[in-house]
Amino acid sequence: MNKYLLNGVYGLLALIVVSAFAFKIFQPIQVLPRMQLSPAFSLTNQNNERLTSEDLRGKFVLYTFMYTNCPAPCYEINETIKEIQSRLDEVELDGIEVAYVTISFDPDRDTAETLEAYASSLNADTQHWSFATTTNKSLLKTIIGSGFETYYEDKGNGSFAFDPSFVLVDGWGIVRAEYRYSTEVSNADRILRHFGVLADEVRNSTGSAKLAYEAAHLFLCYAP
Amino acid sequence: MKIKIILSVFVIMLGLAAGFYFFRPHTFSGTVIQSPQPSFNFTLTSASGDVSLSDFRGKLVLVYFGYTFCPDVCPATLANVGQALRKLGEDKASQIQTIMISVDPERDTPQKLAEYVGHFHPSFIGITGSNEKLEEVTSLYGIFYEKSPGNTAESYLIDHTATLLVLDREGYLKLVFPFGVTVDEIAGDLKYMLDQ
Repeated sequence: MNKYLLNGVYGLLALIVVSAFAFKIFQPIQVLPRMQLSPAFSLTNQNNERLTSEDLRGKFVLYTFMYTNCPAPCYEINETIKEIQSRLDEVELDGIEVAYVTISFDPDRDTAETLEAYASSLNADTQHWSFATTTNKSLLKTIIGSGFETYYEDKGNGSFAFDPSFVLVDGWGIVRAEYRYSTEVSNADRILRHFGVLADEVRNSTGSAKLAYEAAHLFLCYAP
Repeated sequence: MKIKIILSVFVIMLGLAAGFYFFRPHTFSGTVIQSPQPSFNFTLTSASGDVSLSDFRGKLVLVYFGYTFCPDVCPATLANVGQALRKLGEDKASQIQTIMISVDPERDTPQKLAEYVGHFHPSFIGITGSNEKLEEVTSLYGIFYEKSPGNTAESYLIDHTATLLVLDREGYLKLVFPFGVTVDEIAGDLKYMLDQ
């Protein structure tokens, strides 16, 4: 084979391998994994109005799960949401709306009136933050337990054992992150950063930029 | 020496261009999902008896939720899937199972469903079940549906999420096609998945 052509082929192979490694190591683009489809639902919110998964299409939605009689863990969850809301202008969202949905797994006690009173006691911004549940308990278990993969169990003495968690869903209804516990970085910091990562991906979801983002998914360049 | 370097660089650039063109990675038309676990397994009823999702391990499975009275969205999507299978040819089509799940069990009997889906492709299966079972399955596949009243009690429509889902041979959700996906886009993604 011609020497120049051979050099060219070796050079080409080396470039491809080096480029792939460089992309993986330096991760010029970071994404959040597309983990699974978010469950579909029709719930009743604190205003006794219907809240469906379809109503939330096009928005970034942060889900949390609790019951209004819950002690300390719920306080921390709610404080985190409030912190995220107050710091949301730190993230460039390009007009994408963020919704917060807190689903109660205690529909016997958490009626719309109770949820409304709870939201008021938190001074929650209910234009963006909904509190909702359904009296269909088996469906509720399907939505929270199987759909959002969040454990909860009625202990029978007025309390619930549960796994305090946040689930981030994108505008296409795909679960993009789950936050099961706090690490050195607070959940609020991570979640805000992840809103930015998602917004970047939406901004670059057409043309050649889309190819680069798909490569980031392919190479598992996930934002920490 | 300079000429040799220039020539080598030129060949590399030419090779890169050709390499990117011929070996460019497949760009999926559907949204790729990287599920860490297999999709929820369910059992519903077809005209020939119970059908479970797990019956089709080893095949790509296309899952579509709709109903036979659906005026436009469902027939358009199913027709496109049928055409995509014909485009792929018999050998590849035999490695793909399309399942339509009716969200209208009141009007869609398994027999009626079998007749309906057969119009689009002979391999299609139509299944349905109790409202309770459907509530669970639709929720876990991200499908919202609700009745929209018509002029008479029987002429209602059902609004439903119109995505087309693709599960891989091991039962993991891999692709989500939005409504409006074309025959070529479906065929292209399925061919790539089958060739992997």
